Order: sequence, then structure tokens, then C-alpha cells
Amino acid sequence: MLKISEIGKEGRRSKRERALFIILFLCLPLLHLLIFSYVPIIGNFIVSFTDWKGFGDMKFIGIRNYKKLFSNTEYISMFKNCLWYLLAAIPQLVFAFFLAVIINGKFRGLNVFKGILILPYLLNGVIVSTIFIIFFQNNGSLNAILEGLHLNGLTHKWLQDLKLVNPAIASISIWRYYGMNFIMFFGALQTIPTELYEAAVIDGCTKMQEIRYISIPYIRKVLFINIILSISGSIQVFEIPYIMMNGSNGTLTPVIQIQQSMYDNRVGFAAALSVLVFVIVLIVITLQRLLVKDD
Amino acid sequence: MIYESTLYKVIRYVFLVLASIFVLVPLIPLVFMAFKTGEEYSSTSVLTPPSNWFNFYNFGYALRVGHLIKAFLTTAVILVISLAIQILFTCMVSYVLHRFDFRGKKVVQTAFTLTMFIPVVATQTLVFRMMHAVKLVNTMWSVIILYAGVGIIGIYIMLNLLDNVTKEIDEAAWIDGASFQYTFWAIVFPLMRPACTTLLIIQGIALYNDFYIPNLYLNSNVQTFTVALYKFYGSMSTPFEIVSAAILIGMIPILIVFITLQKYIYNGIAAGAVKM
Repeated sequence: MLKISEIGKEGRRSKRERALFIILFLCLPLLHLLIFSYVPIIGNFIVSFTDWKGFGDMKFIGIRNYKKLFSNTEYISMFKNCLWYLLAAIPQLVFAFFLAVIINGKFRGLNVFKGILILPYLLNGVIVSTIFIIFFQNNGSLNAILEGLHLNGLTHKWLQDLKLVNPAIASISIWRYYGMNFIMFFGALQTIPTELYEAAVIDGCTKMQEIRYISIPYIRKVLFINIILSISGSIQVFEIPYIMMNGSNGTLTPVIQIQQSMYDNRVGFAAALSVLVFVIVLIVITLQRLLVKDD
Repeated sequence: MIYESTLYKVIRYVFLVLASIFVLVPLIPLVFMAFKTGEEYSSTSVLTPPSNWFNFYNFGYALRVGHLIKAFLTTAVILVISLAIQILFTCMVSYVLHRFDFRGKKVVQTAFTLTMFIPVVATQTLVFRMMHAVKLVNTMWSVIILYAGVGIIGIYIMLNLLDNVTKEIDEAAWIDGASFQYTFWAIVFPLMRPACTTLLIIQGIALYNDFYIPNLYLNSNVQTFTVALYKFYGSMSTPFEIVSAAILIGMIPILIVFITLQKYIYNGIAAGAVKM
């Protein structure tokens, strides 16, 4: 006969049963994680020091793959291209933030605006690319609008001009990705108790002061997550330059190059580039963790 | 009710209308184009509306030539299987992480959290070779397996929900003699349904729209809708007005899902974000 004290919170379940349950529930997801995330990351690191073609023998070639990455100006310029996307992330986040602040309330038409503003988030890369080919092509809508406004001097061959093509396609990411940031900001703002705002109004705060002293501090963590996601996203840009330009015209990015090297059977080189991308992302996250200590 | 000045209300509408214009302006010419004839497309400006809004020729053509229906079905099969596995796994992992303390828990948690920052691309060089070795490339199984993994956003959404399901429910069941398995499947799992819906929608949108993985793993025999659209669009012979029609067709399911389930998208992503 068991005494009550021996039954405990988990009833008559034994330690062994409990352990089995935990293992059973975790084993498959963890195995998936291991095989498809961690093994490849470690494997990449090893393969990046070889000349592996994806089949056959591997020969250790030291840091030659990395040397190639840093000596070829074409490879260096693809990292520079990422900077355009990073730059585009600034207006993207600012726009998303103010949109979230301004829509956080009750007013007529709220749901209509919410519906329209989330639209770009729902569209895939091929759709977005087509939309913006129509927008940027020589007889496209941007030039047509500029001509309509009698600003003929501002029309350009946006996608052919080597100086303009990267900023032009990087700016697409503002349109495409602000929606995600917007929803996250909006969600975070909704957790702020309305009493705080009421108190602010009684104290005579202006809207800007409310944003500065209530909204921003309260959703600081979400702000940081979005900044980090934007930075790590800009190093991993792939779809838009790949689909619209196939990486040509100086729009190559590290991920497009990884894919091309894989197709060319230069797996060792692709691995080196992957390691580099991973290390950059890791540095960004570490910096974030150092800057924002857990509250 | 928070007091808002008239000036603020005006500014809000102006800002929202401008933002809506920003969103809609690039989209409108695409809609116009889908209804134009080839001749009309080459002779009119992209900003000119089509002369006949009932010209559905392009849509019919796109459906016949682009293998779009087959691609839709493939996408549907991939999504149903992989989302079912993914959501089930996410519930199981989250439940264990939320309700039990055990050795190595921190390691498991960190392992899942870090994946948010592992670029998918950085793993595909070798994962592609693995899939190739087990002959899954060019089959939908490669994509299904990759999509079935548990993501950290999903875990956050589930943990957020479990915070609101008191542990006393589990404990009562255990003391009554229910096994761990029974307690989860019969009692807690049904209570996790709202979070499952949220995850289903967020991941459904993400996977339906994913391009990188299916483009890497699938060829023309088996392709998802995104890849079919890309192949269609990549072959230069396809006239642009047909591509536009194909795209509008592709937007239909996502818009239907969205209009009916908008609330879940907003709440779901918000729940995930707050938990981070």
C-alpha cells in the first residue's frame, strides 16, 4: 500500500516511466534537428577545408577556399551588395514601427487597413519579383509615374544601370518584409496596459512622448529581435535578386553564389561560403546578446 | 478609452492611406495586365486599365500551359503531410519543455532556439548531398522531411498557450492514475488546438510561399506552385500577361485563407513575438 506522500504530484508514475515519456516525445524532433541543422553545420566546417566535389574523394587543401573568397573582387562585392539590403532594413523597420503605433487603437476602417497592409507578407518571391519587374522595367510603372508627374529627368533604366540595380532591388525588401515586422511590433504594443497611456494623457504627454517613454521601452526586446532578424536576413538575401536577375548585372549575393557553386560541383567552396555566412550571423547574435541582457 | 486629439486622428488616416497606396501601387499594374490581350499589353502603358475586364483568356491559357493545377495538388500534399508532422512534433516538444524538468533540458532548449539563427542555406550544401545519397532528390519526400522539423517560433507559440493551461489539470489526471501518454493525448493536446491553428496558418503561408527548398530539390516532374510559377516565368517565351494571370491564380488560395483567418495571423505572430 502506498502512502499519500509517496504518490506525489505525478501520481504513481515511476521515474522510469517519466524518463521514457520524455525521451519518446523528444527523440524524433531532436534527431531531425541534429541531422538537418547541426550535423551539416559541423560537416560544412570540415568540408570547407577540402576540394570535395559532392562525390568521390576529398582532398584536404587547407584554407585555399577561404583565400579564394577573400582575394576575388567579385566575391567581395557580393558581400557589399548585402549592405544595400541592410540599408533598406532601416526605413523598413521605422515604417513598420510607426505603422504599428498608429494602427494600435480603435477606429473606423481598422480592419480594412490591417487587411491591405498585410498583403505583401502573403506573397511569395516569384510573385513579388514579377510585380517589381513590372514596376522597374524600362516602360514600367515607376517610369510611367515619373513621366506622368513631368519628372522625365528622373526616369532610369533601373535594372540595367549597374549603379542603380542593387539599391533598386534592395528597396523591394522594404515592401516585401515590413509586414512581418509590423505584425510583431503590433503584437508587442497590444501587451502594453492601456492604463499606462491613460496616465500619460492625464500627465499631459504628447503622442511623441508616449512613444518615446512608454512604447519603445516596453517593446525593446521585440525591437531588438527585429533588428537582428533584419541583419541576419540581409546577409542571406536570395529570392529577389535570383528570380529577377539570376544574380547577373552585379546583383550576386552570397546565397546565390552558394547555390551556383553547388550546381557546379564545387561543394568545398560552397561549404566555405556557408561557414562564412554562418559566422557572420553568429557574430550578430552574440553582439545582440551582449547588448541586451535578459531582463 | 484613450483620448485622441482630432489632429492625431487626421494624421493617422493620412498616414494609413499613404501606406496603403505604397502597398497597392506596385500591385495594380499586375492586375491590369492579367486582363489585357497581348496586343494591348505591347501598345498601352502599364498604368492603363484593360479595355475588357472580362477577358479571361490569359487565365485559361495559364492553367492549361503552366501545369498549375498539378503543381497545386503537389503543394497541397506536401503541406498536409509536413504540417501535420511538424505541428504534432511541436506540441510534443513544447509540452515536455513546459511541464517537465529533466537533465539536459537547457541544452535541448538552446538547441531549438539556435536554429532560428542557423541560415537554411548554410546547411543545404551537405543536406543536399545526404538527400542525394538516399535518392530523395526530385521526390516530394525530400521537401516534406525538411519541412517537418520543429521551429522555434512554433515552440514559442505553444509555450505561450501552455502558460494558460494550468498544470493542475495534468496533476489531477496523474493522481487519478492516468499515464503520461493518456494525459497528453486525451487531456492537454485537445486544449492546444487554438495554438495549433495559429501555427498551421503561419507555417502554411510560409511553406506555401517557400521557394528556396523546392527550387533546390524538385524538378519539372514534381514541382510546387512557387516553382511552377518560376519555371513558367523563367521561360522567356511566356508572354507577360499570361504570367500575370498565373500569379493572380496563385494569390487566390492565400487570399481566401487570409480573409477567413486574418485574426489568427495577427494574434499568432504576436504571441510568438512576445514570448521571444
